[in-house]
Amino acid sequence: MNIRLSGRIDSNNAASVEEDLLRQAANADAVVLDAQDLEYISSAGLRVLLRIRKMRPEMKIINVNSEVYEILDMTGFTEMMEVQKAYRVVSVEGCEEIGRGANGTIYRIDKDNVVKVYNNPEALADIQHEREVAKLALILGIPTAISYDVVKVGDSYGSVFELLNARSFSKILAREPDKLDWCVQEYIKMLKLIHSTLVPAGKLPDMKETALGWARFMQDHLPEAAGKKLLALVEAIPHDDHMLHGDYHTKNLELQNDEVLLIDMDTLAVGHPIFELASMYNSFVGYSELDHGVIQRFQGFDFETGRRFWRRALSSYLGTRNERKLREVEGKARVLGYTRMIRRSIRRRALETEEGRAEIAHWTGELLSLLERIDTLTFQPNELELEAVPENLEEVQAFVEEHLEAADCPPKAQMQIGVAVEEIFVNISSYAYHPENGNATVRVEISDDPVSVAITFLDHGTPYDPLAKKDPDIHLPADERDIGGLGIFMTKKLMDDVAYEYRDGQNILTLRKNL
Amino acid sequence: MLNIEKRTNGSELVVALEGRLDTITAPDLEKELQESLDDVKLLTLDFEKLEYISSAGLRVLLSAQKVMNRQGAMKVTHVSSAIREIFDVTGFSDILTIA
Repeated sequence: MNIRLSGRIDSNNAASVEEDLLRQAANADAVVLDAQDLEYISSAGLRVLLRIRKMRPEMKIINVNSEVYEILDMTGFTEMMEVQKAYRVVSVEGCEEIGRGANGTIYRIDKDNVVKVYNNPEALADIQHEREVAKLALILGIPTAISYDVVKVGDSYGSVFELLNARSFSKILAREPDKLDWCVQEYIKMLKLIHSTLVPAGKLPDMKETALGWARFMQDHLPEAAGKKLLALVEAIPHDDHMLHGDYHTKNLELQNDEVLLIDMDTLAVGHPIFELASMYNSFVGYSELDHGVIQRFQGFDFETGRRFWRRALSSYLGTRNERKLREVEGKARVLGYTRMIRRSIRRRALETEEGRAEIAHWTGELLSLLERIDTLTFQPNELELEAVPENLEEVQAFVEEHLEAADCPPKAQMQIGVAVEEIFVNISSYAYHPENGNATVRVEISDDPVSVAITFLDHGTPYDPLAKKDPDIHLPADERDIGGLGIFMTKKLMDDVAYEYRDGQNILTLRKNL
Repeated sequence: MLNIEKRTNGSELVVALEGRLDTITAPDLEKELQESLDDVKLLTLDFEKLEYISSAGLRVLLSAQKVMNRQGAMKVTHVSSAIREIFDVTGFSDILTIA
């Protein structure tokens, strides 16, 4: 039996309240003070609480309204004893569902506010976790919404966010198919921001540990050799402290006025980007491979749109339109994607239904055939940022060469591109930040039609257009020739196009060559 | 990486290069040549195993050519078609003796 507190407790009634409470507390098994009807408590009332606690140290207070909570919080009582807030009750009946993630569903409750209702009725710890990681993400520069209140929704809990005038990317894709390219562009821009964010050690779970758990689970459901290979592949993925969203699909990206916001942060983790690509593949393709209705029900657009979105997003993320490279990375993502889906389905007792068994058999078949041909789950990102010093030239050359080889670039073109890359990188190293040092970014993009490569160099150094320099006279005899200007001249001659611009405080130089 | 192998035959010096002649390795070749060109009448650069040359490499060739113009002759042998194209676009085909 809880002991009810009501009205006001102040110096007028403190003595009689104390007498009453002590008597009830003496007879109770556990002292739980229900503050649902408590409106105000003064310092005289607080002293009453202290004396009860002295008698019954396990005492706790529940259903505390926000005014009383503030008093208890300010006076340090919330640290001394267990104090549970009263949660505002919110109904989501008839509310529009605007997002759905692994752990909950998001509803719009009025024009300016949304509530995320957690699936798990014991969600208070999850809510706390999500608030903390959302705060962390915000501090690290990720645009997101942070909940300002926890409410009771039916038997479960929810957290409330302000989200004005927002529309999810899924809704935009469903209603305005012509915006697909724009959605892909913004979606990848946000993804790259997430993946370039370094997270301080220990702040977020390591996705590799999670994936090792999936792979171990699969040992009982795959032929022995395939199971072992899967586990070894996951083990070989290098540790990575960059952020992953963990459930990055278009319902979790919101357009609020002109700003793109990331929501549903409870799956935030750190790890290699292949884990993210795996979960993206599942959202847009994997879960719907057999039943194309899945994505329609979940995202509101059809299977073809989902698949097209996935392929364009992958191409934009990897900076390549080379079909072989796309298939290669997609294959790696599918290995982890199928592993995750099979485990999830089996744990949800899918083996007990015919559809479930069919789906698991299909995914397992795909997984086994991928395991036969895949020897690593990592892939080469298409951007390299490093200090612009001549000592790093070899690293830049190796990075570019790896991409060129993957695109079957002929050796002669490879050398010519190498010469151009050397000239540009050495130029940046020598002049961009002189006499200080700074970073340069090298990006390699391969296109299929026509087969060509674009290599972009970005630096934040002094604005300088190397193309403005006058070409040397190459018809002079040796003794009259000057050695200056030859590098840029060669670059122009050996490439099909060289372009320079200064934008957003950066020198941007792009080399293009048809292969 | 650049391997530099030198063979002297009277007043002829043969320098065989293997690997890459670029910003990183060009100073090595420059130093080798500076130390070895006294009394050389014929300098032969053997490019059979040279895979790559950039403008930093061309600069060394140009200064060697200038030295040899004063004291004898220089030739470049076994030039691959990829390097030949670099010589062509930079006008080096006209300066160098490519055998």
